[in-house]
Amino acid sequence: MSNSYTSDILKPFKLKTKQQELLIRVSILCLVYILAFITRLFSVLRYESMIHEFDPYFNYRTTLYLTQHGFYDFWNWFDYESWYPLGRIVGGTLYPGLMVTAALIYRLLHFLRFAVHIREVCVLTAPFFASNTTLVAYFFGKEIWDSGAGLVAAILIAVCPGYISRSVAGSYDNEGVAIFALLFTFYLFVKAVNTGSLAWGLASAFGYFYMVSAWGGYVFIINLIPLYVLVLLITGRYSMRLYVAYNCLYILGMLLAMQIRFVGFQHVQSGEHMAAMGVFFLMQVFYFLDWVKHMLSDTKLFQEFLRITVTCAVAVGGIALGVGMASGYISPWTGRFYSLLDPTYAKDHIPIIASVSEHQPTAWSSFMFDFHILLFLFPAGLYFCFKRLSDATIFIVMYGLTSMYFAGVMVRLILVATPAVCLISAIAVSATVKNLTVLLRSKTKVAQIGSTKGTSSAKASSKASLDQSQPFQKNGAMALLFGAFYLLSRYATHCTWVTSEAYSSPSIVLAARGAHGNRVIFDDYREAYFWLRQNTPLDAKVMSWWDYGYQITAMGNRTVIVDNNTWNNTHIATVGRAMSSYEDEAYEIIRSLDVDYVLVVFGGVTGYSSDDINKFLWMVRIGGGVFPVIKEPDYLVNGEYRVDKGAAPKMLNCLMYKLSYYRFGEMMTEYGKPPGYDRARGVEIGNKDIKLEHLEEAFTTSNWIVRIYKVKPPNNRW
Amino acid sequence: MAPKADTQSAGAVAAADASSQFSMDPLFHILKVVPYSFLRAPRLRLKIPSVSLPSAMTVFSLVLLTYFMVVSGFVYDVIVEPPGIGSTQDPATGAVRPVVFLPGRVNGQYIIEGLSSGFMFVLGGIGIVLLDLALDKNRARSVKVSYAIAGISSVVIAYVMTTLFIRIKIPGYLR
Repeated sequence: MSNSYTSDILKPFKLKTKQQELLIRVSILCLVYILAFITRLFSVLRYESMIHEFDPYFNYRTTLYLTQHGFYDFWNWFDYESWYPLGRIVGGTLYPGLMVTAALIYRLLHFLRFAVHIREVCVLTAPFFASNTTLVAYFFGKEIWDSGAGLVAAILIAVCPGYISRSVAGSYDNEGVAIFALLFTFYLFVKAVNTGSLAWGLASAFGYFYMVSAWGGYVFIINLIPLYVLVLLITGRYSMRLYVAYNCLYILGMLLAMQIRFVGFQHVQSGEHMAAMGVFFLMQVFYFLDWVKHMLSDTKLFQEFLRITVTCAVAVGGIALGVGMASGYISPWTGRFYSLLDPTYAKDHIPIIASVSEHQPTAWSSFMFDFHILLFLFPAGLYFCFKRLSDATIFIVMYGLTSMYFAGVMVRLILVATPAVCLISAIAVSATVKNLTVLLRSKTKVAQIGSTKGTSSAKASSKASLDQSQPFQKNGAMALLFGAFYLLSRYATHCTWVTSEAYSSPSIVLAARGAHGNRVIFDDYREAYFWLRQNTPLDAKVMSWWDYGYQITAMGNRTVIVDNNTWNNTHIATVGRAMSSYEDEAYEIIRSLDVDYVLVVFGGVTGYSSDDINKFLWMVRIGGGVFPVIKEPDYLVNGEYRVDKGAAPKMLNCLMYKLSYYRFGEMMTEYGKPPGYDRARGVEIGNKDIKLEHLEEAFTTSNWIVRIYKVKPPNNRW
Repeated sequence: MAPKADTQSAGAVAAADASSQFSMDPLFHILKVVPYSFLRAPRLRLKIPSVSLPSAMTVFSLVLLTYFMVVSGFVYDVIVEPPGIGSTQDPATGAVRPVVFLPGRVNGQYIIEGLSSGFMFVLGGIGIVLLDLALDKNRARSVKVSYAIAGISSVVIAYVMTTLFIRIKIPGYLR
């Protein structure tokens, strides 16, 4: 009697299987959403809520401007505080998606009377969009394979280090929003191809518009989707659904993309977008041929017509492309994207692109670091996709392969490959687990039915042996399932470790382990920028290497000569030439640029290895690229770059050397080593007695990391 | 879908039995008049090879090969041109010892370490594929068992070796 009583109480809570499944799915998605957010909060908990790195400071400054002055002032903003004396047209040279998104979230929160500072919104934008990406990954996985694969995809992408590296809290950069927009656009497009509905096509066009407004990597979408359409056409999967989806995306997406001033008319003028246009016209030819075939009843006639039309179409297309490129209307591929197709191009021709550490090609350990288990699951997932080819699986295979190739060319693009790798790995996991659980749940009556049929002795014996091996198979399947869960748990451990150790560093605050294992924090950058802000005249101009430009304008609030936008190579080469010349020639250049302060970063006291002396050869190369008077071999000894006694004389007397090592010769940096021992290079410096004639030291931070020099006015006539 | 540019052979066939075939192709009619009214087309026995799409599994094996090259850092090897294997000098004896794993950086490798790691990744992937083949119903039982054993051992070996490699390469891994 008590049994029925308790079952009566529990009755409203007893769910049918379908409801149970829905509850499990929703709770998994909620947990994954929260997990994706909190795993990116390491640096906020360890340091404070601040913006990391270099580029996010520019984004933060523009978002601040947007919230203070409104959208039209932001869109028409001419910034005179950077790239002195050229200035920068900010409205026309940035992708506004990130700033507008953050500003909208800020407005929404203020509307709900949560008076947060814009900096908090900026810091937490990336984790918020990472959580949204997991939801999109779930729906995408459901579209490609089934809901189980969708759930696994959501879990994998929530913690994958390849994505976390650019979307950690504080990393307020375009990619944080762009990966969400990328996956969302792809999902909407695949949904449009699967359903053939105009509504989904329209949604994918708007998704594409959001992607174009967010990141320059939209070129990947506008080339991958035409390639995908081409592959579908070649494999004979042309259909009305594909026609509707692609036309809607291309035309509306192109028109919407032209609203972004930075993109402008590139969709009809730039060589990188011509593939989309070519495929668009090819689709029209296909549709036309399909219609003619439908009208004609004679196949022979149609074959002739087919031959003539395709020849004419290809000829007209080729002539149009040739005329466009020859007349210069269609510009060729820009260096940044061309170096993806020909990786050796940047090394020989464009030193600025080659110098960025994120643009180096990828070694196996970077792949392992960022993907771990997924590197095994990716080929397995490809196998499953090839087993069950459909429009959607062909898409994900193409996305995976192209993005993996680009990830191999440039480390930074591992980010773009991450969603594809997660989705394909999820397919492998889901299919394998499904196989194993089917084996686990197979009932023994299969063997009984086989034995009652008994057509031939061999069949009966095999069924009998099947009966015998059933428990063995069940145990084997159970063991394999445990093995799979063990591997996935190792993946989760690895991802959390990598996030905590490698990708949660703010880069503007450095941390190291002291002698007794305690954590030592170097906050020199912010110290120097704050000094600049408080102790220099408001119209002072600061010259430094372009890495620090955004931070100086955002935090120091002073005008800079060159910054991270690197749009003017000659201006950067002028600064590079100044840094690598003798002090007198450098003073001429400094006076011509109207500079008041020079800022260098020096890691000799702390052992910080990303300082200006280690970057110096890039200054020489970039300066030498424009001014042939700077020759790289002058600074090397036997092809080797040295700063000790055996260094080249030009190196020992150039401006960068003097500014870095001024007064360093008397400094004791390490016990048991002579004074003037450079801990970052591991040598004793060559020229210890440095005298500066035209500059004087203004400020050196407490750990000697940032050093600021004031430019003295020229001597009076005597 | 590409147009067949065999107007020459079509012309020869049409020249042979002119009345039996009627063509709508204007190019063919032009060619019939301009060179071939006074030139005699040679008798050729050329056949355009028929291009058919490769099967899905052929494409998959090509894809696997490409994946192996990408993931073993082939582009890195071509651009940065590291040595095949590094070397260090033993401070005590002065002998030169080989160093397999490039120490100090995450994004750097020697050629051989890249190739061996790439091989391990592909081995792991193939192991999972073999497991799926083992669970396929339409094979003999002994084949299924051998596939299953091969698959499980591949995955285990690949995972263990990869973890070992990364532990050697990055000394502070998971500490």
